[in-house]
Amino acid sequence: MANDSGRRPIREGLLTGPLDDLSQVHLCGSRCAACGETSLGTSDICPNCGGTEVTPKALSDLGSLWTYTVVRHKPPGAYHGPDPFQPFALGLVELADGLRVMAPVEADIDSLAIGMPLHIRPYVLRTDEAGREVVAFTYRPA
Amino acid sequence: MSDVYILGAGIHPFGRFDKSYEAIGSEAAGDALRDAGVAWPDIQAAYLSRMYLPATSGARILRRLGGTDIPIVDIEAACASGGAALRQAVLAIRSGEIELALVCGVEKMPRGFMDPSMIYAPWQIELGMSMNPAYWSMRAMRHMHEFGTTELQIAKVAYKNHKNSVHNPNAMYRKEFSIEQILASPLVCDPIRLLEICAPNDGAAAVVVASEKKMRQLGARGIRIAAVSHTIARYSADFRCPADSMSATAANPGPTEVTAHQAFERAGLGPQDVDCFEVQDTDAFCEVEIYEELGLCPLGEAGRLIDEGATEIGGRYPVNMSGGLISKGEPVGASHLGQVVELVSQLRGQSGPRQVEGARVGLAHVLGAGGNCAVTILQA
Repeated sequence: MANDSGRRPIREGLLTGPLDDLSQVHLCGSRCAACGETSLGTSDICPNCGGTEVTPKALSDLGSLWTYTVVRHKPPGAYHGPDPFQPFALGLVELADGLRVMAPVEADIDSLAIGMPLHIRPYVLRTDEAGREVVAFTYRPA
Repeated sequence: MSDVYILGAGIHPFGRFDKSYEAIGSEAAGDALRDAGVAWPDIQAAYLSRMYLPATSGARILRRLGGTDIPIVDIEAACASGGAALRQAVLAIRSGEIELALVCGVEKMPRGFMDPSMIYAPWQIELGMSMNPAYWSMRAMRHMHEFGTTELQIAKVAYKNHKNSVHNPNAMYRKEFSIEQILASPLVCDPIRLLEICAPNDGAAAVVVASEKKMRQLGARGIRIAAVSHTIARYSADFRCPADSMSATAANPGPTEVTAHQAFERAGLGPQDVDCFEVQDTDAFCEVEIYEELGLCPLGEAGRLIDEGATEIGGRYPVNMSGGLISKGEPVGASHLGQVVELVSQLRGQSGPRQVEGARVGLAHVLGAGGNCAVTILQA
């Protein structure tokens, strides 16, 4: 899904819309015709029932914080974040599409509250080895 | 269905050792054989549970006991590896093909958080979603929000387990901490703190299992395996399936509930029949949630159960008499068999200061990555 702008999503099938205009980018999900479940990202198979009649769907930009934690130590592995490490919020964001998305939440950690309204923010995380900008997403208070 | 019995149990202390995994594992296996009064050449099959060790670890470890041509199989099911291995031994004996088997769990793990690339996708690691405790912590936050469970109640679980560990020579940490010390320890992932969380480490545990017929031939008195169940979580049923999304609508029951229900049904027992429990306390909240999922109390009332002291030694439902993983550490492949060894000691009445008076039935429970869950019920 590398496009004209030379940008690519952090994971194939996670985002939909023109990556060179981030205001038009949404999360992409897959809806299963058999069980009706919607999950994050494009897929050939429904993770709930194994159905194969699964169609991509642009997900709502708005959500609410279903639960969260504050990660207080640098996560293991190739975490891409501020150096030195800054504690950050990680949450499950409930969308009207019937799913909860695991995502970093860009908010003052003392202001976090279950139920708070959030809005997606696609952003350029870094530039990869091939010189392409890698687009990731986070949520911020709506 | 024919019964299967544990004739002997052995454990290598959990901790960090300057020693090979082969040595750690073969010591526990040797102890189990001696405890059973059985010689290695009499064993007809061996099952080795591990997650982070190389291929054919079982053969490399057990060869140290002497030359053999029996089948030795490595089994991996994340934190439930030990239950999966024990189940294979039980099924093999029930099939009638063999009468006597060895089950050994071993792990040797690096310090600190577990290697995320075994569990998480690269993009999840890059965005900071690869910290295991974060998933448990989010679950805790939701439980606190829905049911009013408090940080103090969670800390009380850690207090209990640390307190029990003082009497367990096989635990890595054997120190009592006050509630104040626990609540003053640094947050790892809110609301879970450093003294409320388990550490990966090294260790091994082993049991010798036999058919009833073999037990009688040997003139031994074993502990009956009333049930051993292993399941994985359905979609969205557990936070421990590294989730990029979960359902807001699908109501799949959690793996502990499913596995425990299956084990209780097979054993013909219920939670009220169990005298002592060893359960997965990856962190103190994890144990709180398991009280409810095992049926020790209704949903949302685990906090009250803790306040009543019901899960202390001497309470109605003693849990983690050994000190739990919070004190012992979690050598993943060995953790469930370590619980089983504790229960064998309890049901034999050999647990000294941490003994549950008159214990006749014990339950061991583990839960981890991929929603792998195992429950073993033992009966004296």
